[in-house]
Amino acid sequence: MPVLIRIAFRNLLEHRSKTLIIGTLLALGVVILIVGNAFMDTAERGVKEGFTANFTGDVFISGKATNGTVSLFGVQAAGGQETTPTLPYYDRIVEKLSSMPQVEDKASQITGFGMATIANSDDQTFALLFGIEPGEYRRIFDQAKIVDGHFLEPGEEGIVITKGALERVNKQLKQELKVGDRIMLTGMGSMGFKIRSVPIVGLVEYKNGSEASDFITYVDVNTARILQGLTLGNDADTPVSESQKALLAQSSEDEMFGGGEVVETSSTAPSRPAEPVAAAPAAPVAQSVADTGAWQFILVKLKHPSQAPRVVAELNQWFATEGIDAQAGGWKMAAGPFSQSIDVVRIIFNIAIIIVSIVAIIIMTNTLVISVIERTGEIGTMRALGAQRGFVRKMFLVETLTIAVVFGAIGTVLGVGIIGILNLAHIEAGNAFLQILFAGKILHASASIGSIISSLVLVIVVAILAHIYPVSLALKIEPVRAMQTE
Amino acid sequence: MVIVELQDVHKVYPLGKVEVEAVKGVSFSIEKGDFISIAGPSGSGKTTILNMIGCVDRPTQGTVIINGQPTKELSDRALTTLRHDTLGFIFQSFNLIPVLDVRENVEFPLLLGKSRMGKSEKDEWIDYLIEEVGLTQWRDHRSNELSGGQRQRVAIARALVTKPHIVLADEPTANLDSKTGEQILELMKKINREMQTTFIFSTHDAKIVNIADHVVRLQDGLVTENIRKGEDVLVGAGAGGAADGTGEGGRA
Repeated sequence: MPVLIRIAFRNLLEHRSKTLIIGTLLALGVVILIVGNAFMDTAERGVKEGFTANFTGDVFISGKATNGTVSLFGVQAAGGQETTPTLPYYDRIVEKLSSMPQVEDKASQITGFGMATIANSDDQTFALLFGIEPGEYRRIFDQAKIVDGHFLEPGEEGIVITKGALERVNKQLKQELKVGDRIMLTGMGSMGFKIRSVPIVGLVEYKNGSEASDFITYVDVNTARILQGLTLGNDADTPVSESQKALLAQSSEDEMFGGGEVVETSSTAPSRPAEPVAAAPAAPVAQSVADTGAWQFILVKLKHPSQAPRVVAELNQWFATEGIDAQAGGWKMAAGPFSQSIDVVRIIFNIAIIIVSIVAIIIMTNTLVISVIERTGEIGTMRALGAQRGFVRKMFLVETLTIAVVFGAIGTVLGVGIIGILNLAHIEAGNAFLQILFAGKILHASASIGSIISSLVLVIVVAILAHIYPVSLALKIEPVRAMQTE
Repeated sequence: MVIVELQDVHKVYPLGKVEVEAVKGVSFSIEKGDFISIAGPSGSGKTTILNMIGCVDRPTQGTVIINGQPTKELSDRALTTLRHDTLGFIFQSFNLIPVLDVRENVEFPLLLGKSRMGKSEKDEWIDYLIEEVGLTQWRDHRSNELSGGQRQRVAIARALVTKPHIVLADEPTANLDSKTGEQILELMKKINREMQTTFIFSTHDAKIVNIADHVVRLQDGLVTENIRKGEDVLVGAGAGGAADGTGEGGRA
């Protein structure tokens, strides 16, 4: 082997231009892989850490949608947003979770969509409503830092939003809203519009928060249920006439919401089909009474997050055995479109890498073929002197590996250096998508050892693939060619 | 003792749509320790015959026997082993490995197969050969730093390093001036005497032919003369020994 390495090194030095062409391609490949993977890994890690710590937990349990996929952000279906199913047999699922030793804690949630506005204003802004039970929710998700007011107390009516969200709302509504002010939320469930006035009880801030988290509005669960139509006896709702609506619009905020009552425009379906609501009164009930048993999701925190796949499998098995129309998934399922955007970017990146690899293989193959042609006499001489085909094969393999390792190492140093420079530059994410990619508002990527090793392995594989055809040509060189060398 | 034997050897090369018969039924044999010249003008078939004896080419028809072993049936791997263990090569264009220095070039064939020599014995042997060819002070130089004569000396040392029974030299003096060519031939002759190594070299230079003990002359792919110094002509011009392919004419 030493003679092969000696010959390899000297041949690479002897044919500097070809070595540089191939080496530059390999080094460039490593740089692209390391920098690209650092972005991807940072984004995925950031999104994962951000979501599991702040929004999703380790395991996500939801009902099954008839069409589309369920996430913490609703149901994504081909035709648009679908109604998020309520979780059937909630109590039994909670009981099951409490019997599982891997489970540390759980929180339940309802997600809704609405518009936020204030009285006597035509301006409104989008709100993603996370209906929660504050006590259990804060036990799991305690990362959000209170910057003004307080977080929702158990049983308290109101909303908590991010500081950024309040700035956005103020800008869009042209207001100077602050903690203590009331805001009107219009729920947009499948059962029509429902309007409710709630106070802003607190402002929060996330570490490495992005614009995406500014759309999240924590709201007490009963308000969320009412806005989403998850009410008892909601099939007895009273339609609101146009004249009533006009009257409502003219009324002052205090007149309208002083009692905190719900104003409903229409309703057609019960909150929880099939499953009986415990002790649901048969007599006519106030349409403003929330169905306190209705939840859409359970977010589970595990003692060891690495056990998530096993817990998910166990839960899904249990759902199937018990005939419960629910499903469990990991944080990616819960994060839905946010994790998918990372996956899409990674797929695009991988496709780009495959294309670049193919181009690199073609260029390297051509360069190596020229090298083999130039060395026909030398290879023929070696064969004539007694070199078996295996020796020739090894000689080219060692040359290929040498060039791949040397330039791979150069590419690694360059890649890590570029990441360092980019981090020092404090590049700011200009939009929400970049904030997802950057896992925050400022780019801070880091190359993992695993990513560096996999990049080097990929480059070595590319180099080996590129050398297969030239070597096959070299192996066809007969020893008689030594006699024909001039 | 016969070390090489050719029996009715033919070689046909395809040249586009036509076929060219470079060797047309050649038979002769070579004794161990011979210093034999295969002589003839360009295109007479001497290099083709040398290639077949050197196991770098196969006859289209007929048999080549090296050390009692017919080469026709041998696999590529076995032929390569035979070349490594039994044969040494000296090429017209020297064919040194450009990235290796003199010592490494001489050592190279030893790295290609199993050597019975220990490291110190190997080192001594390489140094001895380099000294024999007069290149001790050039041992660390690469081939591009050597003259043609020096390169061919390196090639001679390399051909001998595996202690082969036979050394084949294809026009070893063709790219050298006459004085250097003579020196190279004298060196080959000296080694032939001292080590009893069989030397088979091709040439078209009549002056060089005279140094050989045994001369096989070729013309248009046929043996025209097969003579050994101090002995009668084994095959004369136009005699049947070569042309009829009996192989008898080659026997000394």
